[in-house]
Amino acid sequence: MKDLMVSIGPQIKRGSAELAILSVLAEGPLHGYQIAKRIEHQTRGLLRFNLASLYPLLYRMEKRGWVKGTWEDPPGGRRRRYYRLAPAGRRRLVPLREEWARFFQALNRLAGVTRA
Amino acid sequence: MPDWRGIVRHRLTPLRVGEKRQEDIVADLAGHLEDLCEDLVRQGKSESEAVQFALSTVADWDELRVRCAAQEEDVMNYRVRALWLPGACTSALSMLLLRWFQGMSPAPPVIWVWHGTFLVIYWRWLLCLPLIGAFGAYWSRRAGGQLLERVVAASLHILGLTCLMALTFCIALVIDFRVSLSLRLVGFAVYVLGWGITPCFLLLLGALPFLRGDAAESGQAAASH
Repeated sequence: MKDLMVSIGPQIKRGSAELAILSVLAEGPLHGYQIAKRIEHQTRGLLRFNLASLYPLLYRMEKRGWVKGTWEDPPGGRRRRYYRLAPAGRRRLVPLREEWARFFQALNRLAGVTRA
Repeated sequence: MPDWRGIVRHRLTPLRVGEKRQEDIVADLAGHLEDLCEDLVRQGKSESEAVQFALSTVADWDELRVRCAAQEEDVMNYRVRALWLPGACTSALSMLLLRWFQGMSPAPPVIWVWHGTFLVIYWRWLLCLPLIGAFGAYWSRRAGGQLLERVVAASLHILGLTCLMALTFCIALVIDFRVSLSLRLVGFAVYVLGWGITPCFLLLLGALPFLRGDAAESGQAAASH
């Protein structure tokens, strides 16, 4: 069991982080700090990203073509790098959501069996 | 407010990425810290407390430096793993089999098309192509390849061969006036059909079961290693 947790741990962590980022970017382009705040707000503080956890993942997703970062100067704001969902990211989001839905269904079923 | 760019540049560099990319990353991270700091000040913290808190969100700058740089390398490895390696291996396998079958008897049938244009049907090789295509697409999927990478990994050598034929045809159009245009066009069409479209179709037919399904889990597992 311990070995299993060790092997799936990083994948689950990374998969959930990718889902969170892609989901908030599906609503519109955001810069890094806004992404972190939006995730924190929408999960009521359950999921939190800091600089060290967010940006390596963003860069990875950018290199994979899932998100695209562009420098923008919003009126009245500072120059920031805005990330938006690329078509590949939109395609990636669909199976990712399905996988996580299946994963939680499986956990729910398991929890039900355990309780019975 | 402090010079966040200077602070980040001092703590994060040198990154093992290009100079422009490094400046992008520095400015991106500095913007994040600046926004965080301003938020904290708005919430009532003093500036020095806000700066200290913002800096404390990065426990290990060395680790962040390595992780940021690793994304650049990782993608290079990812492309090699998911595209070029399976593509090269399927190409080599296919060419070896073709070479082997070319030496086998009985000789393969030849279809004469028009005015000396002919096509040799290496049917044994053609029969193997679905397996080779399946092998390439499966490997690419295992390595985390997306749909396009799986398609290209399965059919890389045929795509290359078709491009080469098209290039040769274009050159022949310009320099070779001895053969009529219609004959050259027929020859090109026959070769594209026999060496491009048909093998590609067979490769992708074999690859089809592996074009579906998600690469993420296996791909991420591979990428995280």
